[in-house]
Amino acid sequence: MNIILVLIPLSLVLLGAALWAFFWGVNHAQFDDLETPALMPLSEDAAPRAAVEKTE
Amino acid sequence: MNATACFHCGEPVPTGLQLCATLDGTPRAVCCIGCQAAVGWIGTMGLQDYYRLRDVPAERAAAANDYGAWDRPALQRMYVRHDDEARAEVCVLAQGIRCAACGWLIERALRELPGVLDIGVNIPARRLQIVWQPQRVALSALLAQLGRLGYTPQPLSAAALDTAQREESRTALKRLVVAGLGMMQSMMYAVALYVGAFEGMDPLTRDFFRWLGVLVTAPVVLYAGAPFFVGAWREWRTRRFGMDTPVALAVALVFVASIVETVRRGAYVYFDSASMFVFLLLSARHVELFARRRAADVVDALARLQPPLAQRRNASGALETVGTHELETGDIVVIDAGASVPADGVLLSERCDVDEALLTGESNARRRSAGESLVAGSIVRTGPVELRVVHVGAQTVLSSIVRLVTRGQQQRPRRARFGDALAARFVAGVLLLTVFTAGAWLLLDPSKAFPAALAVLVVSCPCAFALAIPAATTRATAVLARRGVLLLKPDALEKLLALTHLTFDKTGTLTTRQMELVGVQAFGGRSEAHCLRLAASLEQSSMHPLALALRAAAVLPPLPVSNSHSSTGNGVSGELDGRVYRLGRAAFAAPHDGNDDNGVYLADADAVLAKFEFRERVRADAAVTLAALRDEGLQLQILSGDAEGAVAALAHRLGVDTWHSRATPEHKLAQLQRLRSSGAVVGMVGDGVNDAPVLAGADLAIALGDGAQLAQASADIVLGGDRLEALVEARRIARLTGRVLRQNTFWAIVYNFLSIPLAAVGLVPPWLAAIGMSTSSLVVVLNSLRIRAQPPAPGAAAASATARPALEGAA
Repeated sequence: MNIILVLIPLSLVLLGAALWAFFWGVNHAQFDDLETPALMPLSEDAAPRAAVEKTE
Repeated sequence: MNATACFHCGEPVPTGLQLCATLDGTPRAVCCIGCQAAVGWIGTMGLQDYYRLRDVPAERAAAANDYGAWDRPALQRMYVRHDDEARAEVCVLAQGIRCAACGWLIERALRELPGVLDIGVNIPARRLQIVWQPQRVALSALLAQLGRLGYTPQPLSAAALDTAQREESRTALKRLVVAGLGMMQSMMYAVALYVGAFEGMDPLTRDFFRWLGVLVTAPVVLYAGAPFFVGAWREWRTRRFGMDTPVALAVALVFVASIVETVRRGAYVYFDSASMFVFLLLSARHVELFARRRAADVVDALARLQPPLAQRRNASGALETVGTHELETGDIVVIDAGASVPADGVLLSERCDVDEALLTGESNARRRSAGESLVAGSIVRTGPVELRVVHVGAQTVLSSIVRLVTRGQQQRPRRARFGDALAARFVAGVLLLTVFTAGAWLLLDPSKAFPAALAVLVVSCPCAFALAIPAATTRATAVLARRGVLLLKPDALEKLLALTHLTFDKTGTLTTRQMELVGVQAFGGRSEAHCLRLAASLEQSSMHPLALALRAAAVLPPLPVSNSHSSTGNGVSGELDGRVYRLGRAAFAAPHDGNDDNGVYLADADAVLAKFEFRERVRADAAVTLAALRDEGLQLQILSGDAEGAVAALAHRLGVDTWHSRATPEHKLAQLQRLRSSGAVVGMVGDGVNDAPVLAGADLAIALGDGAQLAQASADIVLGGDRLEALVEARRIARLTGRVLRQNTFWAIVYNFLSIPLAAVGLVPPWLAAIGMSTSSLVVVLNSLRIRAQPPAPGAAAASATARPALEGAA
């Protein structure tokens, strides 16, 4: 049963990591708009964005 | 009917029009010059993918406007937030955003411009957030780019940039996830403890799991559950007890009791119950918050009736364009025909006709003479006119209407208030019973007092009651909002089910507001195309539906017209190449020849030149919707102010037996009153322009979202997205919600009445109480999830797809 002394702290560390990652995502606007980004991968050309970065 | 649909907006291309836009070398038929420009523009930017990605046709592109005024510093102060010299931010409402492809197109197109740093598109709210470098590109250039794409940009005041609302939803999401993850962990430890209780766990391991429970539940109660404690504290200070008090009390008692038990190594802990309770209640709140946000967009639409810009006459008598908020009492403003009034004021010009649909619901223009007052948001039909400003900002009539609507949205449904009251009383009873149980057991057997009292508190946790009603109604509100149906009045869903009669307005409800030109008859030598061009030229500045239809049908660009004068209700006259032409009703344009009411005549001084015939476009989903409603046993009728022939034809076509033509608003109101006094529950569906007062006289008012925004203020339900068939779906969901509500309430009552007595006499061990309470609230929530939208009926999908094959054929 001593294995739970390793596994449970490990699960708590993972829990903490998951929460940290989620908070990071929320703070970086990843959850503000859940509809628009779903369409972005459908377009294969990323040209316009690249062009803008070049002009800047 | 026309065989071809416009490639850009999907509207039928008028007969005889040969307008093409070339995309990828393929000519595509379009319906107007605006759409042609939009297709060309999208093509030259390499954004053709838009046509492949979108799922709803675009809105008809309007001719390009001048956005130069938006560069004025005084105006920008209100609308633009300057983070520093090289960085400015603006929030723009873009009318015409329909689906995700629009967002994609806008983002790509704006990024083409130099100096644009970041674009955020929120499709449900139709808002863009643009961050740009003001010294490299002007705001007007950004807005013009949007205009060219076919979206009407409207900067929103800097308050919309306020991060408070965003922070609120972010924090809510964080709390929900903390509660969810914490709940999962504490439940796992709880399972270990329950199993251990049977298998004989050694006390040291048991205490280890209990302390783990404290560790994972503490953030759930203290961080995620904080809103309940804050709310309970507020309720305590004002001595008005709502749902937060019992919730906070139960959570705190269970949590503290469990910690006490852990410390003194007692028999039972209930960390799983505490975290589950917090999580379930937070989920319900999250859904409610989402539904409220959707409704707030409707208020935005109302507030936009006021124009952002005004033409002010300055000291030297010249005109300058200023922001509406810059106007002050005493300023003189000039308003062009077709524009809306920026502020409440007194008319200085001799007379004018205004459309005060926002006040009266009548779109028929009213005549106002010098000295009479005009209200902000109404539309001047004849102009230009001068106005002296009397009230600005929050003092205008429009602002007070917006305030009324906002207040209406904050009210909770009667049913939910009833549920709250019930739950609060229930909690008070349970607390008394807990004290009583503890007292009784202290006399009989002190060792059982604490477990029994705790069992009563836990087993009766009011969540089944507290959640029974809001879980079902918030779910229904959210599902309907996704389908474009907004419930503005709290009791709308209940009333929708109770209806026995449903009354429809004709124009704008069963038919769209748009007219289409169906025929041109030229008399006396001139070609039909030439007559059409003359007519379109005479009507080039009017916003009347017939004028729009004429302009849409005219192939050639309009000619310059001088001495243009419009006579409301009759027609227009004007000079072209030195000849005076009249366009309008038979009595106005052709007093000698024309004798029928139908059609519009074009005449010069000598003879009648042409006759134009129009008809209203019937909504594509009107027949399906009415048939479905009739099948549900509703009595349908049509009330219209139009002539008998038109109403009868439409009623026959849609299979409606009862109809009344030439009805004034008073007639309509009287008709509704008669039905209601005979015991019927009457609903009225209208676009609200002509029917705002009639809508107010019905038991349930339903407005179509594309109608005058004000209709939405007096309506109980708004059908957004311009779809009548959403009504059938809304009734189905209302029925389902009613059923789920009854089941939920029944379950909550049965469960509590069975379990509480058992717990009080000590027959329910607290661990079973915790499982019982969790299951009972889960049953309620899962049952509410059965309320869901159906995919659109195959018939409707086929109807909207009919335009497509024609398009493929043309390509």
